Amino acid sequence: MSQTPLVEMIDIEKHFGGVRAVDHVSLNLYPGEVVGVLGHNGAGKSCLMRILSGAMIPNGGEIRVQGRAVQFSEPNDARAAGIETIYQTLALADHLDAVANLFLGRELKTRFGNLDEARMYAATKDVLARLNPNFKNLRDRVSSLSGGQRQVIAIARAIYFDTKVLIMDEPTAALGPSETAMVADLIRQLRAEGIGIFLVSHDMHDVFELCDRVVVMNKGRVVGAHRIDEVDKDDVLSLIVKGELPADWSARNLAEAPA
Amino acid sequence: MSHAAKPVGRFGFAGMEPTSAHLHRLSALLTLILLIMGFSLMAQSFFTVNNAMTVLLQTSVIGLLGLGLTMVILTGGIDLSVGSVLALSGVISAMAVKAGVPVAPAMSLGVLAGAACGAFNGFVITKMRIPPFVATLGMMLIARGLALQLTGAAPISRLGESFGRLGNGALFRVIEMQPNGFPRVIFPGIPYPAILLLVTAIAVAYLLRRRQIGRHIYATGSNEEAARLSGVRVDHVKLYAYTMSGALAGLAGNVLMSRLVTAQPSEGVMYELDAIAAAVIGGASLSGGIGTVTGTMIGAFIIGILRNGLNMAGVSAFIQQIVIGLVVIGAVWLDQVRNRQ
Repeated sequence: MSQTPLVEMIDIEKHFGGVRAVDHVSLNLYPGEVVGVLGHNGAGKSCLMRILSGAMIPNGGEIRVQGRAVQFSEPNDARAAGIETIYQTLALADHLDAVANLFLGRELKTRFGNLDEARMYAATKDVLARLNPNFKNLRDRVSSLSGGQRQVIAIARAIYFDTKVLIMDEPTAALGPSETAMVADLIRQLRAEGIGIFLVSHDMHDVFELCDRVVVMNKGRVVGAHRIDEVDKDDVLSLIVKGELPADWSARNLAEAPA
Repeated sequence: MSHAAKPVGRFGFAGMEPTSAHLHRLSALLTLILLIMGFSLMAQSFFTVNNAMTVLLQTSVIGLLGLGLTMVILTGGIDLSVGSVLALSGVISAMAVKAGVPVAPAMSLGVLAGAACGAFNGFVITKMRIPPFVATLGMMLIARGLALQLTGAAPISRLGESFGRLGNGALFRVIEMQPNGFPRVIFPGIPYPAILLLVTAIAVAYLLRRRQIGRHIYATGSNEEAARLSGVRVDHVKLYAYTMSGALAGLAGNVLMSRLVTAQPSEGVMYELDAIAAAVIGGASLSGGIGTVTGTMIGAFIIGILRNGLNMAGVSAFIQQIVIGLVVIGAVWLDQVRNRQ
């Protein structure tokens, strides 16, 4: 890949007291690429993603977006740079409806500075119809919606605003089979549009079906970064659990390579 | 993605008033109507124009405090300092008048002092990370202490007729001069405090429903972390809510002191509890994200009418406390029962 990476994270560092949550990590993401970020709980992957989404400020290192150095001190900075995040908790305000949630923090306003409900409603209807034609409850508070519908709102919010990079934290963990398929289709569609995606997941099936590369973290460090066709599930599991590839990996890969 | 403005049928409330909140307000409104009917049967002088205006006047102070508290409670916070801030603001306005400042700017100064107290609350809560209960409890003591210290605990009187106009004046008052030289009040007029309450309520409702800050107030109380991650400046929102609460307490203080034409540093003790009760009776949730201006207004009038009606029926002030206490518990209980269904 010779093009400029969408995102370059260079030598990122984050520590809490003596604990190194992210230990000098460097990571790139290219347009139209899905990168799986794996690791067991506490491996530092969530921390790293929170740094990229502006929710956490790193102690050191540099982030570049399309070659330009950026500094995020709050989530709005990252969103302004085209980096959107779908959190595992979805980060929805339960007492507000789909329209209010979709535009939360970026409300459209009329000339007089009032909330432009008509425009926000129409836009929400459009974007939700693209994701799920059956979505009708635009004015219901989101706490009364199903898990799948809530997920759709969180996704809609992340893709509506000229997104370049999408961070998805366990996007299918709370979903049923048909909804999971919908999310998988969406990821493929976004990739085709040239959006770069970080997929944080525990689900090996999702990872191998959707990702172009996998990055495995262990104790705050990147212990493996591989094209998906270089590794199998056991290799990845070994990286996650032991922090290293199985002993026979290079032999196996060399043997397979000519074929 | 189209940004074309398409007219849609139902918009503006943005789902902030789901059915259960509607129900709560409906039942609160029903309670209010029942109270009015009940008291009308018990005391003949209850259901009269004169008494209605009295209730309006009495409710306006609690109503103003309740509006401020609604904003704070919506963010998931609480403001225990409004009763004391009310006293401090009134005292500062009166002192300014005594110092020769004309009434209008003097009163503005009092409201500003209230806003400053609120801003201090907001600062302590957002920057020093002190829980709202503790921060505003501190301000409750600070503001009361300041009011007492500034006045030497003595009321400031002889403030002049113009100081009393806000609290005692009325629009459309019709007075007839009788042959014996005494005036006869045909229509007492709509008290200025009631008009002030109405205007303020409309302004706050507008802020909460139509402006971004209102949307963010609901979002902050609904899910603070989600709001923060969505780019809502949660600290800014809270600072705004507490400052507004302080300013409205200042306004209420000026109304009250103007009505008495005396600045009483010991006025307003426990008013914060009436204001909180008004919001809660009106359907506001103390965990944040739920509540409306209309609800709080209904709640304030329920308390005002209970007080007034029980007075007219000759019920002692002690029993009144008990009744209002039971009403608050009952209102919240009803809400819980409904939410469990």
